[in-house]
Amino acid sequence: MTVYLSIILFLPTIFGALALFAPRRLALWTLVAGTVLTLAYSIVMLARFKTGVGMQFITDDNWISELGIRYSLGVDGLNLFLIVLTSLLWVPATVAAALRDWDRPRLFAFFMGIAQTAVLGAFMSQDLALFVVFFDLMLVPFYFLVGMWGGEDRVYATTKLVIYTLVGSLLMLAAAVALGVMSTPAGGHISFSFATLAQHPLSGGSQYWLFILFAFAFLVKAPAFPLHGWMPDAYRQAPLPVILVFSAVVSKVGVYGFLRIVLPLLPQASVHFQELMLAIAVVSILYGSVLAFSQDEARLVLGYSSIAQLGFILLGIFSLDPKGGQGAVLQMVNHGLVVAPLFLIIGYLAIRAQGRESLDWMGGMAFRAPVLATVFLIVALATLAMPGSANFVGELYILFGTFQSKIVYGLVASVGVVLAAVYMIRFYQRAMHNPVGAHVESRDLALGPELGVIAPLVLVILALGVYPNFLLHRINAFAPTTKNIPQVALKR
Amino acid sequence: MNITWYLVLSAFLFTIGAVGVLTRRNPLVILLCLELMLNAGNLALIAFSRMWGNGDGQIFALVVMVVAACEVVVGLGIIVGIFRRRIPEDVDALSELRG
Amino acid sequence: MSATAWAWLVLAFPLAGTLVIGLGWRVLPGRVPGWLASSMILAAFACAIAATVKMQDRAPAARHASSTLFDYAHSAGLNIGLSIYVDPLSLFMALVVSGVSFLIHVYSVSYMTSDKGFTRYFAYLNFFVFSMLLLVLAGNIIILIVGWAFVGAASYLLISFWYRRETATAAGIKAFVMNVIGDVALVIAAFLLWKNAGHHVSYTGIFAGSKTHFSHDQGTLIAACLLLTVGAFAKSAQLPLHTWLPDAMEGPTPVSALIHAATMVTAGVYLIARFHPLYEQAPTAANITAGVAAATLFFAATCALAVTDLKRIIAYSTMSQIGYMMVGVSTGGYDGGLFHLMTHAFFKALLFMGAGSVIGAMAGIQDIDRMGGFRKSMRFTYITFVVGALTLAGMMPFAGWFSKDEILGFDVHRGGFDLILAIVGFAGALLTAFYSFRMVFRVFHGDSVPEAQSLERGELFHGEHVNPMTGEHEDTGVGFPGAEHHIAERELPMKFAMGTLAVLSVVGGVVAIPGVTDWLRNFLDPTFADSKFVNAAPSTGADWTGLIVGAGIALAGITTAFVCYIRRPGTTAEIIKRLPFLHRLFVNRWYFDELYDALFVRPTATFGRFGRYVVESAFVQGTLVGGATRIVGAGTALARTAQSGYLRGYAVLMLIGFGGLALYFLLQAT
Repeated sequence: MTVYLSIILFLPTIFGALALFAPRRLALWTLVAGTVLTLAYSIVMLARFKTGVGMQFITDDNWISELGIRYSLGVDGLNLFLIVLTSLLWVPATVAAALRDWDRPRLFAFFMGIAQTAVLGAFMSQDLALFVVFFDLMLVPFYFLVGMWGGEDRVYATTKLVIYTLVGSLLMLAAAVALGVMSTPAGGHISFSFATLAQHPLSGGSQYWLFILFAFAFLVKAPAFPLHGWMPDAYRQAPLPVILVFSAVVSKVGVYGFLRIVLPLLPQASVHFQELMLAIAVVSILYGSVLAFSQDEARLVLGYSSIAQLGFILLGIFSLDPKGGQGAVLQMVNHGLVVAPLFLIIGYLAIRAQGRESLDWMGGMAFRAPVLATVFLIVALATLAMPGSANFVGELYILFGTFQSKIVYGLVASVGVVLAAVYMIRFYQRAMHNPVGAHVESRDLALGPELGVIAPLVLVILALGVYPNFLLHRINAFAPTTKNIPQVALKR
Repeated sequence: MNITWYLVLSAFLFTIGAVGVLTRRNPLVILLCLELMLNAGNLALIAFSRMWGNGDGQIFALVVMVVAACEVVVGLGIIVGIFRRRIPEDVDALSELRG
Repeated sequence: MSATAWAWLVLAFPLAGTLVIGLGWRVLPGRVPGWLASSMILAAFACAIAATVKMQDRAPAARHASSTLFDYAHSAGLNIGLSIYVDPLSLFMALVVSGVSFLIHVYSVSYMTSDKGFTRYFAYLNFFVFSMLLLVLAGNIIILIVGWAFVGAASYLLISFWYRRETATAAGIKAFVMNVIGDVALVIAAFLLWKNAGHHVSYTGIFAGSKTHFSHDQGTLIAACLLLTVGAFAKSAQLPLHTWLPDAMEGPTPVSALIHAATMVTAGVYLIARFHPLYEQAPTAANITAGVAAATLFFAATCALAVTDLKRIIAYSTMSQIGYMMVGVSTGGYDGGLFHLMTHAFFKALLFMGAGSVIGAMAGIQDIDRMGGFRKSMRFTYITFVVGALTLAGMMPFAGWFSKDEILGFDVHRGGFDLILAIVGFAGALLTAFYSFRMVFRVFHGDSVPEAQSLERGELFHGEHVNPMTGEHEDTGVGFPGAEHHIAERELPMKFAMGTLAVLSVVGGVVAIPGVTDWLRNFLDPTFADSKFVNAAPSTGADWTGLIVGAGIALAGITTAFVCYIRRPGTTAEIIKRLPFLHRLFVNRWYFDELYDALFVRPTATFGRFGRYVVESAFVQGTLVGGATRIVGAGTALARTAQSGYLRGYAVLMLIGFGGLALYFLLQAT
């Protein structure tokens, strides 16, 4: 028992609350201090993490004992890097936010802090009910962040986002309650703990409909085709720091849910629906990729490319193979690490193109900005999973896992790798290369406020490209959970 | 002792009160009718208490009286506010909650 | 120090060069980045020699070593180490790559001197050499793929080096995407090998496992080999993945020499030579590879006959020559294929350098129709270019003569299907000799064009910069070629590089003169000792017969060119008039670009628009979002009717609710 995780979990909220009382100018910087502190704690956690031990840093207390809901947190190979990623990416997001002016900055900082706590909580929870609480709590700050500080059509976008995710959340809430109640053994106490639930698997029939409810909620969050209707509007309207964390981290909560909840708790249903999920994944990959290169709006290129990337993650998960599962976790981290700098870069590009984020207004940005061009190039190549990047290793594991279990889906998905090259290089070229656009002011990255924010992320990307085993070695600790899946399939 | 008569009386009072709440438009009269309903409840409580020879019901009735007093204070306050603002004394005119 | 330690140093120097130049771009003055980059490559070359010497000390059977730095990815049954594998084959490649790269670096110091992107250029170039060395030294197929993709990225960066030219960026993305197709094929091949050859990714593991796990000519093995072939063909610009190479000529000319002629495009040949144990187990795949390569060598030669862009002629020639190497290594003639790889690196780099010289004198114009008579004004370029052309044509006794005819002699000797390949090869050789001298005669002979005349008067020609593809005028800022870009053969570094390569082209054949020196074969033998073709080489007498036939064919081709262009100019025009269809076919490169445009590019773009305007707006937004909105709307409308705002409405609802509850409990109780 340790309170270590609780410190990480609630630090952002505490600093967010402090920001409410800070002077206007310092409000966001207060939160930056909080996120940096959170990151420091996460790094210490990473250093103290022991590989191959299983669940660590466990906190387990009664919360609502009548309903069997426990305040139960823990870290293993599956969520370790997702927690670190969340702590890491909130820093550049808040710094980028602190560097510009906002209406009501105190409130903005407060909601950003709550949002981080909610995401961290969802990753840390080892209790289904607690997970649901944090999963739904995530929606609240983002509702305000997009709705209050978004673009012109923010109300429309927010409403759509909220309705989509709320429907998913409600279905998941129902499914979670049903799962807890139905797997309580006769005369036993109700429990929502993942470990307990995994010991009492349900019968096939009820697994199936529970699977559908969970899958709906998680696929909306990802988003996957065809449940991505909220994505274009939300991506266009949300403020940049907000969409940065949303795309890089929040979208991972959904696919994380598959690995933490659906696969271990509903194993038979996972096997039963494997091909359906693989088909959704493949369609998402191809559809997202093709749409990504027909977009002119920089944010939408990233939005649709995220659909494709999360399709790959989904593919790895539902290959139901240890390699695919680990590749999926690795790819969640990688995708977060590349999407965050890409959104920062969109911000930098927009500053240089009279505030517009459309590729039509860009071109030739590299002219007087070699550092920006280099940074963008590194991130773009990592995004398209060029061999030598950690993203490649992730995709390699995912593809190997998929080839191993269902080779046809893997082969079709391989086309997505080629398409990724097309849309990322196109994005890079239309912004950076070709004749200098008429409205472009080519200016290199400012050392402090621009390069300083993005450089650490790029260094992390490069370092992981050289030594991806740093992640894989620790993710390996969760292999036993995924390994169970094929065996369960055999039992059936 | 037969409790039926007490309950019948209580039910009569309650129904009169309820019908009054539903049909009258003057807020003051609605408030009075509400009191009538509460006291119908009180009567039933005390009757039950008497039947079981147990004091719990009487305590409940006391609590209800306290609540009723509070309610009257608030309600009358609102009514005074309505008078002050020269809003017509008609609850149907106060329908801003329409969805 | 062991051979592997030296090999690690081979990799370390170019990487260090990339980092130092890349990070020091603001502080390194003048030509320092160029010399720094060159010295790094020279150091790598020296280390490669040291590693070779160390390796030669061992007994022939023990001439291989691998070394792992750390686990690159090790979990869930996959074990990929960051490892290198040193054996005669990888050392041979490392020597050729670093040696030729050094000369081209030196040439570039002069050639690129006025370009605003001088530092960036050398950072890219060093990165390329690092990647290429990683590719050839890699110890397992995953690290090979990493190097494979890195060279592709470097190639992309250098093709679109002058990034403000739209033609250059379009060529860049084309090359990149074609190369990614190859990468994906390699990944799939890696999986098939990993799965079926005992869960190994290292070469030694795969080859050992393939012998026990694969039966002869099995479907999976053929599939794996063909996927390797697709990877090799994408990188080496063989049919049908070749369309990027002619466009890649948008890059600076030394880049064309280094990447798109001498080193990177020959990586496919290395790949097939490296995986020869698999191809030997799957003769079907080997035959398909050889057949397509033979088709490529003929197809590319025909294009080179008709195209008038100087650099593109050499590019098609490169495709054609790689076709020879591919035929060589996939039919078992490893020595011949690799020998030709080496000599080709020499003479093709030389030809490109000469072309760079000429194009410089023409101020960026690349059309040979507008050239002529440079013989007198650029004597040094002329001599070296003729040496290059003679070697390309396979004229006696130049290096290309030995290497090309070693491949063809081997295939004649094997007979059967290989005999057909050899006949195609001889036909291609005739065309090669013809188009080589078509270049020589049309560029250097004939009447002097104004540019040549002004050079003869001693004026260094400074034209306005035009894009050779579109004819648009360009400034000389960042992202366009620099001001005095190509004023040719003027400086010592350029002459040094061209002279060295010319000498190597003349004497390079000495490493494998049949019956006299078999140095190359002896050197490479340890790698191919397990090959079943190791003793299949023809006799010395047969070799010499082949060589004489080859020389005769080269002579015939050169003579024909001489007749067509010098003795009776206008012959070609007549031929074109007689066979307009054939000429159109050749000039339009057999319409491959148009075919791909119609088959892949346009359908995908159409699908993208369809997705954007139909699926997104009608289906996702209309049906899903619209439907959901309407359902929610209907639900809220229902709820709104209950919200009358009348107090008594709420009171009634409350009463009904309580009444209902009371009734329920009463019924429950009874």
